[in-house]
Amino acid sequence: MSRFFTTGSDSESESSLSGEELVTKPVGGNYGKQPLLLSEDEEDTKRVVRSAKDKRFEELTNLIRTIRNAMKIRDVTKCLEEFELLGKAYGKAKSIVDKEGVPRFYIRILADLEDYLNELWEDKEGKKKMNKNNAKALSTLRQKIRKYNRDFESHITSYKQNPEQSADEDAEKNEEDSEGSSDEDEDEDGVSAATFLKKKSEAPSGESRKFLKKMDDEDEDSEDSEDDEDWDTGSTSSDSDSEEEEGKQTALASRFLKKAPTTDEDKKAAEKKREDKAKKKHDRKSKRLDEEEEDNEGGEWERVRGGVPLVKEKPKMFAKGTEITHAVVIKKLNEILQARGKKGTDRAAQIELLQLLVQIAAENNLGEGVIVKIKFNIIASLYDYNPNLATYMKPEMWGKCLDCINELMDILFANPNIFVGENILEESENLHNADQPLRVRGCILTLVERMDEEFTKIMQNTDPHSQEYVEHLKDEAQVCAIIERVQRYLEEKGTTEEVCRIYLLRILHTYYKFDYKAHQRQLTPPEGSSKSEQDQAENEGEDSAVLMERLCKYIYAKDRTDRIRTCAILCHIYHHALHSRWYQARDLMLMSHLQDNIQHADPPVQILYNRTMVQLGICAFRQGLTKDAHNALLDIQSSGRAKELLGQGLLLRSLQERNQEQEKVERRRQVPFHLHINLELLECVYLVSAMLLEIPYMAAHESDARRRMISKQFHHQLRVGERQPLLGPPESMREHVVAASKAMKMGDWKTCHSFIINEKMNGKVWDLFPEADKVRTMLVRKIQEESLRTYLFTYSSVYDSISMETLSDMFELDLPTVHSIISKMIINEELMASLDQPTQTVVMHRTEPTAQQNLALQLAEKLGSLVENNERVFDHKQGTYGGYFRDQKDGYRKNEGYMRRGGYRQQQFQTAY
Amino acid sequence: MASRKEGTGSTATSSSSTAGAAGKGKGKGGSGDSAVKQVQIDGLVVLKIIKHYQEEGQGTEVVQGVLLGLVVEDRLEITNCFPFPQHTEDDADFDEVQYQMEMMRSLRHVNIDHLHVGWYQSTYYGSFVTRALLDSQFSYQHAIEESVVLIYDPIKTAQGSLSLKAYRLTPKLMEVCKEKDFSPEALKKANITFEYMFEEVPIVIKNSHLINVLMWELEKKSAVADKHELLSLASSNHLGKNLQLLMDRVDEMSQDIVKYNTYMRNTSKQQQQKHQQRRQQENMQRQSRGEPPLPEEDLSKLFKPPQPPARMDSLLIAGQINTYCQNIKEFTAQNLGKLFMAQALQEYNN
Repeated sequence: MSRFFTTGSDSESESSLSGEELVTKPVGGNYGKQPLLLSEDEEDTKRVVRSAKDKRFEELTNLIRTIRNAMKIRDVTKCLEEFELLGKAYGKAKSIVDKEGVPRFYIRILADLEDYLNELWEDKEGKKKMNKNNAKALSTLRQKIRKYNRDFESHITSYKQNPEQSADEDAEKNEEDSEGSSDEDEDEDGVSAATFLKKKSEAPSGESRKFLKKMDDEDEDSEDSEDDEDWDTGSTSSDSDSEEEEGKQTALASRFLKKAPTTDEDKKAAEKKREDKAKKKHDRKSKRLDEEEEDNEGGEWERVRGGVPLVKEKPKMFAKGTEITHAVVIKKLNEILQARGKKGTDRAAQIELLQLLVQIAAENNLGEGVIVKIKFNIIASLYDYNPNLATYMKPEMWGKCLDCINELMDILFANPNIFVGENILEESENLHNADQPLRVRGCILTLVERMDEEFTKIMQNTDPHSQEYVEHLKDEAQVCAIIERVQRYLEEKGTTEEVCRIYLLRILHTYYKFDYKAHQRQLTPPEGSSKSEQDQAENEGEDSAVLMERLCKYIYAKDRTDRIRTCAILCHIYHHALHSRWYQARDLMLMSHLQDNIQHADPPVQILYNRTMVQLGICAFRQGLTKDAHNALLDIQSSGRAKELLGQGLLLRSLQERNQEQEKVERRRQVPFHLHINLELLECVYLVSAMLLEIPYMAAHESDARRRMISKQFHHQLRVGERQPLLGPPESMREHVVAASKAMKMGDWKTCHSFIINEKMNGKVWDLFPEADKVRTMLVRKIQEESLRTYLFTYSSVYDSISMETLSDMFELDLPTVHSIISKMIINEELMASLDQPTQTVVMHRTEPTAQQNLALQLAEKLGSLVENNERVFDHKQGTYGGYFRDQKDGYRKNEGYMRRGGYRQQQFQTAY
Repeated sequence: MASRKEGTGSTATSSSSTAGAAGKGKGKGGSGDSAVKQVQIDGLVVLKIIKHYQEEGQGTEVVQGVLLGLVVEDRLEITNCFPFPQHTEDDADFDEVQYQMEMMRSLRHVNIDHLHVGWYQSTYYGSFVTRALLDSQFSYQHAIEESVVLIYDPIKTAQGSLSLKAYRLTPKLMEVCKEKDFSPEALKKANITFEYMFEEVPIVIKNSHLINVLMWELEKKSAVADKHELLSLASSNHLGKNLQLLMDRVDEMSQDIVKYNTYMRNTSKQQQQKHQQRRQQENMQRQSRGEPPLPEEDLSKLFKPPQPPARMDSLLIAGQINTYCQNIKEFTAQNLGKLFMAQALQEYNN
């Protein structure tokens, strides 16, 4: 069996073989040697007895017809192929031609073809439009036909002089031909196609004969002649049978397809005397064709084949009458498995074979152990189907895989006496001894993990904005269900390590989902009604928070590998943050000390960490903790590579910096789209919290030379906004924030509010939050408060005193809030003022240094540094290093300190005044 | 180096010439070999300069013009002037020389002094010690020995006291500028510091007797209240501006020093390397006993010493800082006086 499959890849020898066959064997000869070909055509041809001349000429006319067809559709490549065949056929018919003279129709096609080619050659436009293969073929064919026609020059000229006659003759001939064909079959076209195809498919049929013979051999090996009965009994397995059949056809089709390019290729090789190169090319080509054919699943090719003899045979697992025992099945299984991973193994066929084997096993009641074992192998080979790590499973395969795992789980749940484990050796497997517990080698956990990976891969490779993605995403539920089942299974039977792994898998599928039900429950206060209680009880099991808690706690306690715990913690934090449990999330983050050592983790974990931090920041923002939000988001945002850091896409900028390999690796790390965090939301949250922090700060430190920036990113945006030559109404989210910042700088909270919260921003950002309205109210309040602060900082120098009631009116805040804000500012020494209780006013102290004083302080500082620099020049001059230098330096520091103190004293003096 | 300069920064020239008939400047005068010891300016010139700025200058923009006059003994008499048109980007091909020549020719036709004796320039808070001024004054002085530059400070003038000063480059600086070598060594050799870059020439404003008589007449009629700018106590703005400018220059100075510092470090590093090489060679020599030492000169030639930074800029900055300091000192001294006066007045009133 395996030998058959290996021959598939050995296309070189095969092609040459088929070529020979083509030359040596006349059509329809040696039928007796093909007992397995059940084609009707075969019988047809047997019936008709024709003269050698007819046979040859028919061959020629068929070829000519194909050429004419190809000419009509301007398929020059096809023309070339056929022309070559024609030449050969003509060579074969040489003896007859010698007797009969050159047939008219032959001359005619030669002349026509040449004309046609010249016409094509002249047509520059058309040539441009032609694809590369065609263009190449055109030039080759043109040369060839010129050379070839030289031999027939006299005939052609005579034909050209008198085309009428030859045409008539040809028509006559055609008529004759069609009459002949109608004898054979009712449909002329069908037959001609069939005859033509038959000729072409000679090689494949030979091939199939060959491999069938091999099968024979093999079946003889299994000590019995083959029989169809075996399969007829398997009526239940008709489904897989048809699949099997399809596979066979596929294999045939591949050969059939390969045929054409092969001859072409061979010719070329002979021509160019560069055989090895052609061989390589040919190999590649045939491989590609193979793949193509796999894609098409053979169905499409069936139609084309028409009357080609079909191989209805299926590969036989076991000879008829063989007693199907465990040993036999296992032997077969091993046989199949040995081919696995080998070059040239038809993986699709292998999977089918395994599936057949399962059926056989099931039919023969070989017990669950064997079935489980085979199932394991089926899934494994499904995973193996794609040799390339980057490519993802096809949907059918994926569906099959899911089904298979489900079935496997069914069996495992139904038969608690089956033990499955990686650590069980092949030798110690117990597959059929019912007395003892069944032991099967294999790891369900690995399979599920692999399944999860495949799922991620599928999601990564699907366009996230297509319906297809949604379709794929629907599988997520199934994946989750499987994971849940495996989890239940492993909770009973698995080791703690395995349980940890499956728990992590479960967590990874849970943490990013917002639990709307739990959220809803939270919103509706638990009233006394029994119905709601019932609901609650119903929903309790689904509360993801509880689930996460349970799973993560288990992992915290039991896990010994650091990675799983880290991931679990991060997911847990993410989940907390997603559900606005800020304090739990923050505490967990701080307790885990992940921030200190996350840089040692592998990239996927780091991406998870970044995602968690971002989610944490957004959570803090929702809670109105702008400072925390800003701090959490600072790292991600300040780099300007948020997209990359979150694994949500590759930056174009760094494309040239990495090579293809790295890019592939990075691509594999990308987070599937449904896990993405909205980047605009993220940036907006960051900028708004930066605005709430930075604007009052800027107002407070307006004249401070050493003012540091809280957020560089925010300042950058402000500068970009300032650079705009023409300031229109804001369009993008950033422009909105910048415009709002400007309004806030003036203490104009209403404008600021209208810029931050409006239709556009709602659509872009705020509506993305689960509790959008709550966030908006929080935001308004924050804007009011910070605007008040900014206002006080900016304009305190203008006021001697200001009534708190006025302030409360201006900023639409209630009096106690205003009071508390001002008190806080006074306590923090941000605002030099005091509160006058009876009149409810703020009395300014006017102790801030004046502009001149500030300038003087700055100047003093600058002079200090100037002196220091100057002294350094001196040191150089004197060439003193080491101890002396250091002493000197201390000296300057003291000096500087003195000057600073001077500055302070001045300030103190001012305050006292 | 720079600190030394700063240490001696207090001995600066200070001679303010106030508006008046013949306020004789008492300044120290030029150095001995200077061609001009005194500048006598016609009242007309002063008014023309003021008018020019009033009409065309604003903010940091400066106005410039040509001084005309003649030298009498060691006294430069400036009898007339004409402005340069304001530069705009559009007429880049405007030929200044052509314009000057034409202007002078025309003036000559109407029998006005047409000898070129220098130029004038307005200033913004006394920030005139610049490379541009140095260069053009150098070219003037190079061509016409007695040339002076008149610096007119409109802001100070607006506060009540006419501020007009005449400057010349010292002969030492002329030498240096002629050499066009501003390396530290050259400047050291020339023994030039920022105090000796410019010399201020005392100014005398001279009017005809008729005008003097008219002035006397007018002074009697004008009320004291008209001169209230002089008593203005609002000083913060002016001081602030001065401080700001001073600070900018100090920053520049700092940068300059840092630049110089790196240069020093680089040179010393290279010297050290040379030393090391030499030492290595010596060692090799000792090790291989008897072999002739490798020529070391090509190595030292391979590494060019780093380009020494031009020191002229720092000199100018120092000079500018000095001017600012003078300004501030002067200003604050006056203001203190005013404040004390105001206090006394208030006490008296109470």
